[in-house]
Amino acid sequence: MDKLKQELGLFFKDTQMDIPEADRLLVSVKKEQIISILKFLKGKGYDHLVLISCVDWFKEKEFELVYILTCYPEKGHIILKTRISRENAEFKTVIPIFKNAEPYERELHELFGINFAGHPRLTPLFLEREYKIPPFRKDFDTRKYVEEVFGPIPPVEETE
Amino acid sequence: MRKRELEMFFGPQHLGMVGNLSITLQVEGDRILKAETNPGYLHRGFEKLMEYRSWIQNFPMVCRINVVEPDSMEMVYAMAVEKLAKIEVPERAHYIRSIYLELARVGSHLFGLWAYANMLGFDTVAQWAMYHRDLILDLFEELTGARVYHIYLWPGGVRRDFPEGFKDKIVNTLHSIGGCVPDYDSTFFNNRLFYERAKGIGRLTCEEAKELGAVGQVLRATGAKLDIRKIEPYAAYQDIDFAVPVREDGDTFSRIWVIRDEMIESVHMIFKLLDKMPQGEVYNKVPNPFKWKIPKGEAYVRVESSRGELGLYMVSNGGDKPYRAHFRTPSYTHGLVILEKLLKGASIADVGNIMISLYVVAPEIDR
Repeated sequence: MDKLKQELGLFFKDTQMDIPEADRLLVSVKKEQIISILKFLKGKGYDHLVLISCVDWFKEKEFELVYILTCYPEKGHIILKTRISRENAEFKTVIPIFKNAEPYERELHELFGINFAGHPRLTPLFLEREYKIPPFRKDFDTRKYVEEVFGPIPPVEETE
Repeated sequence: MRKRELEMFFGPQHLGMVGNLSITLQVEGDRILKAETNPGYLHRGFEKLMEYRSWIQNFPMVCRINVVEPDSMEMVYAMAVEKLAKIEVPERAHYIRSIYLELARVGSHLFGLWAYANMLGFDTVAQWAMYHRDLILDLFEELTGARVYHIYLWPGGVRRDFPEGFKDKIVNTLHSIGGCVPDYDSTFFNNRLFYERAKGIGRLTCEEAKELGAVGQVLRATGAKLDIRKIEPYAAYQDIDFAVPVREDGDTFSRIWVIRDEMIESVHMIFKLLDKMPQGEVYNKVPNPFKWKIPKGEAYVRVESSRGELGLYMVSNGGDKPYRAHFRTPSYTHGLVILEKLLKGASIADVGNIMISLYVVAPEIDR
């Protein structure tokens, strides 16, 4: 991990890296660098894409995209993070590098409303209805939504 | 005769389909030209609901994500909370957790065997598998008070110690299940019908499997000896010696044989763990759950569930609830990427065959 950290620092400028504990590398980069860093890490043996996730930092008005990579026979994982704007969220697809990225990006498009340019099918995956705000964003209130769609929740009557 | 293309809906109400999943097939005659998986029949938005509940309240929530094996879900959640809050787990609790997870693995594999044998028409074997799974559920009932959703793990250990005489009960139950292995072999695993039906179907090479992100027994059936219990040992797995069953061919036949070998290996592991189990406390105290705040941070943890790598990425912003939780479930890539690839070119009769051998569990995809 230390070696990989040094190499990443050599090849890519402006990256923030941290090893909080053994076998775990956190990398925060600018959004333009993601594709080239993913290619670099894949070449270094980190060829198993575990997860693409997204965290909605509502107060900072940013989405944080998280790519987790592992190298299967070895211990440990890399968490690669980047921030994109919450307004008109858009990003590039990584399917050319990792084929199994397809459903993850589809899910993020549906639940967070991030548009992945170059994705072959950004069709609905789980949801049945249309939503004004994508439901996994922090400003989507589940209780309010339930009351609007299904009517108010009846109060619990206490019985003797 | 002229052939024409048809669109065919396979599932969720279909005899060959186990679980709430639907596949749209483009067929020409009996051949499948294109398959598209449509999940979403069980989408309950658990990851969103978890953001509204405190750290402890989430335990009954996470185990409901997967019906077949809820225990590994509890385990990843407990591990993630322990990692974020830096809680230690006593030695005996590690052993109890390992035994609990291996029992769950045997139960889950028997459930998978039930589904597979039933689909192939081996009804007798299917009923045996269901009966033997029920014996394991009886063990869980005595240990935790519940049959399916146990809610037994706890950050910092397990909720209670083994009841009196429980060790002998585990040994007796596993011996009675193990005694039936020759029957299973002669009626099912060494049966010519099973061989003819499964050999060469849904073949995946090792390179393809790695490229498409396969994990668990799908990957091990292609010859890759990779198991998270060996790579990144959790609970008490580093203390015992165990084999990782591997097959070379990567087809349906190999996948089912890997499941069989894993069950037998798990039973051996439980015996080894029971022999080595130390005495002592089973949980470390956690702060008052109603006021429990976990410092800012993020964690990714993973375990080897019965279907492969199961992970949880969790973020805390210093509050009393998770800020974001995202499960990486093995069925997700198996069901949405690999299944679509393997079905291309297969015949309609093999849809269930391939799907169940990949062990696609629909609630796990939808979450």
